Amino acid sequence: MNTWFLVAQILGVITICFEFASYQIKDKSKYFLCTGIGSLFWTSMFVSIGLATGIGTQLSLIIGATYSTIRNLVFWRIFSKNTPQSKEFGLNFLLVMILIALVAGVITVMNMPAQVRWMHILALIMAVSFVICQYLPGVHYVRIAVVVYAFAIILTQTPLNILYGDFRWNVMGILIELAKIASVVVFYARYRSEPKKPHLQFAKPSAL
Amino acid sequence: MFQIISDSSCDFSPAEAKAHHIEIVPFYITFDQTAHLKEGIDISKEAYFQRLKAEKNLFPQTSQPSPQDYIDAYTPHLDAGKDILSLTISSKVSGSYTSAVLAADMLKEEYPDRTILVMDSLNGSIGQGLILTEIIKMRDKGYSLAETAALAGEVIKTAKIYFTLDSLEYLRRGGRVGPTTALVGGLLGLRPVLHLVDGTVAQLDSVRGSKRVMQLMEEGIAAALEGETQHVTLAIGHILREEDAATFKANLEAALHMTITNPVTEVGVTIGTHAGPGALVVAYCKKYETFVR
Repeated sequence: MNTWFLVAQILGVITICFEFASYQIKDKSKYFLCTGIGSLFWTSMFVSIGLATGIGTQLSLIIGATYSTIRNLVFWRIFSKNTPQSKEFGLNFLLVMILIALVAGVITVMNMPAQVRWMHILALIMAVSFVICQYLPGVHYVRIAVVVYAFAIILTQTPLNILYGDFRWNVMGILIELAKIASVVVFYARYRSEPKKPHLQFAKPSAL
Repeated sequence: MFQIISDSSCDFSPAEAKAHHIEIVPFYITFDQTAHLKEGIDISKEAYFQRLKAEKNLFPQTSQPSPQDYIDAYTPHLDAGKDILSLTISSKVSGSYTSAVLAADMLKEEYPDRTILVMDSLNGSIGQGLILTEIIKMRDKGYSLAETAALAGEVIKTAKIYFTLDSLEYLRRGGRVGPTTALVGGLLGLRPVLHLVDGTVAQLDSVRGSKRVMQLMEEGIAAALEGETQHVTLAIGHILREEDAATFKANLEAALHMTITNPVTEVGVTIGTHAGPGALVVAYCKKYETFVR
């Protein structure tokens, strides 16, 4: 087996660890840092597969993963700073990211065989929804969105595509998405057993 | 007995100020940089907010009382042989405290036997109003100026104020949020919840929807004040949102199993200019009795 392919599997496992950990974190800036590092390994995984099989085969995935990494790390900085200026920059950045995702997604979908186009349209819609939900306040939107997004991604990489003659069996890709789903399940299992805290944490009237 | 003086950020009405024998030094409001109107004297809160709501491109500005305004307020009481306790809005959000301190320093030579104590409330609006109410209670109970100031210092440390806005528009007009944040926040129906932390405005969180934010504020306050209700005094304020404020008060009373004795107040211009019509404000602090040994 090609060494680069083995490296890709190791990078995939590291990605799984970071992705799983990120959905256990409630704090937005820490979540973005964790998932951002995960995306970095995810990008490296595609580069390694590219080195094993030819970069051309992985180029769109490398671009997509790089886009996710940059987005997550920029969001991490924005949420760590948490100033009106950083939030304004973050929203403008979010809108640019959505625009890029839409343009790239539409081009990709148009180049897909007609039979599997619906699957990729679904993935595109979910990708954009996921990016918006990442930015929304609270812990729930992003977790609900990532589960639906993960299912949409898995759909594009499972034997269902065989029916249309466009089968791409990517075990590590599926495992990464399954790790996200499992992490959300674990998060909600933990969340349910936690003592209920109010959503808005008001300060007690005790001395500073 | 000493004289209590506060800037108009405390949101006491002229009638309340008269009833409690306190003097209010008004903030100034200007709509066009020419006429400077005194809050509560030249323009009522309601007239101000109605105009703010009606005129989309209005950028009113508020300015703090000048040192001379404080000198004018202090002098008659010093002449009458009274000491003064002067409470101001947080020094981190306005220069009112600096004006009051300057005025006190300027009057020191002229009145060497009198004391003027200027206190920074590190709060504003109804939060400052609650602290002021505690100071009034202490004065009426016969506490000296020094005792009152010491206890008021403890009360100030416990005072919290939170406010939710019905729109990001007024924060945008005041330059506190950018145009994209205001636009997207509006489209998503986000209602920011702001508070004062060490006297500085900060955002606690954002919640989608007016009803939801009220519900979450009720839950949050109930959790924060659990087991403390008999030691705490609480007030609710609003800007052109009387009905919701009354509902909010009733729900809080039910959740906290207490009666909120402070009247629901219309919030003034100092916080109101940035919060805008539709804002809902809640403040609480410990009663001064908690610190009496």
